Amino acid sequence: MRPDTWHLFVEPGILRFFGEGLLQTVLLSLAAVAPSFAVGLLFALGRLSTRRWIRWPSIAYVESVRALPVLLLIVYFGLKGSTLFRPFLGAEFELARFWAGVLGLAMYTSAVLAEIIRAGIVSLPRGQTEAARALGLSHVQTMRHVVLPQALRLMVPAMMAQLTTIIKDTSLVGTIGVFDLLRQGRIIYTQYFNPIEVFFFVAVVYFLICYGLSQASRRLELGRPPRAILDVELRDQAA
Amino acid sequence: MPGGIVFEFPDQYLFPSGLWITIQLSVLSLLGSLVLGTLIAVLRVSPLAPLRWIGAGYVEFFRNTPLLVQLFFLYFATPYVGIYLGTPETFAFNAALLGLALYHAAYVGEVVRGGLIGVEHGQIEAARSLGLSYLQTLRFVQLPQTFRSVVPPLGNIAIALVKNSSLAATIGVAEVLFAGEIVESRTFRADEAYGSVALLYLVLTIPMGIGVNWLERRLVVAR
Repeated sequence: MRPDTWHLFVEPGILRFFGEGLLQTVLLSLAAVAPSFAVGLLFALGRLSTRRWIRWPSIAYVESVRALPVLLLIVYFGLKGSTLFRPFLGAEFELARFWAGVLGLAMYTSAVLAEIIRAGIVSLPRGQTEAARALGLSHVQTMRHVVLPQALRLMVPAMMAQLTTIIKDTSLVGTIGVFDLLRQGRIIYTQYFNPIEVFFFVAVVYFLICYGLSQASRRLELGRPPRAILDVELRDQAA
Repeated sequence: MPGGIVFEFPDQYLFPSGLWITIQLSVLSLLGSLVLGTLIAVLRVSPLAPLRWIGAGYVEFFRNTPLLVQLFFLYFATPYVGIYLGTPETFAFNAALLGLALYHAAYVGEVVRGGLIGVEHGQIEAARSLGLSYLQTLRFVQLPQTFRSVVPPLGNIAIALVKNSSLAATIGVAEVLFAGEIVESRTFRADEAYGSVALLYLVLTIPMGIGVNWLERRLVVAR
């Protein structure tokens, strides 16, 4: 413990330094969650498709990506991200480390969201789909007008939980050199030799954000998600 | 070809030994988190309010902070208060083991608590009126039924734990991902190195996922 460094945590300069890290953390989470929702919806629908050549690749993507550690994806894109895009974007292309982190986070989250969305769709009573089909709606129309509006409502709590997971996961991008909240904290403590205070402070900041989000989600009273969604959350809550 | 590259090195056992460390780390920290998590669940359903608050505080704190922060705290900060989690050789492994156990115990605690309060209240009342003490009711009536309903969710936590054990690489535990990083740094062949790591994780987590699904179906039928 270093009580002589406690005044640092109210100094504007130090707080601004932490704030810059926090900004990166928030931007990373938002940048990762937006595309992964769209991609996740596509893969969820792909998995439920009646066409085999759509269904099988979707299953392969979702099952293999969610079986991998998100840190592996982040480290891989941190190293190879630039090379992967050079065939399309020119030989000079450099993928910023921020976007490499977003890519890794979004790839993982899209697979998890695909599973959550699929679980939400499957947990709707079969009679809904059958009635829609009997009324003459096509598969696509059934999805669009009957199934998705109901299923998406069921998933809102799970999606909020996934957002807190993403915020926690952004702490991993420090390993590829993005200066997020945790990485800024490491810089501070290597200067002042006060890791206990710094990590405690960083943990409290993460806690306030994540706990606040989960309480807000509870306050909205959206009801309890189906069992299948809870199982997905439990398996894929990453670091 | 992924995997084949291992044999171009003097140290051809990087991946096998990394896999072995991942397995050790996962199994030991899973055991730790099961014990600790059950304890927390018991605290959370305790008749004493302060014990319930301790349990709830633990769960909320550990679930709402990143595992990496917890690992860094255990690895970088503990020596500053004179706590050494083992010799210099075992220090990182022990810190990772402890961190993974503490973090996942919060999730285990929630699952076991759900199982405990899932037991019908009439059963508890019946047990108490038959003369069983609070602890006896817990031991002979509530916990046996709980374990059955919590096995599939615990399996899901175990899968998450295997994946999360990769974070130990950041504090220098030579598990699978770390082995991949060494191979990549020696060869600059990231595709092969990380492809091998990915395959090894898939070999661990996909059969576990199939097992959990199978258990889920079996227990649902049995209920």
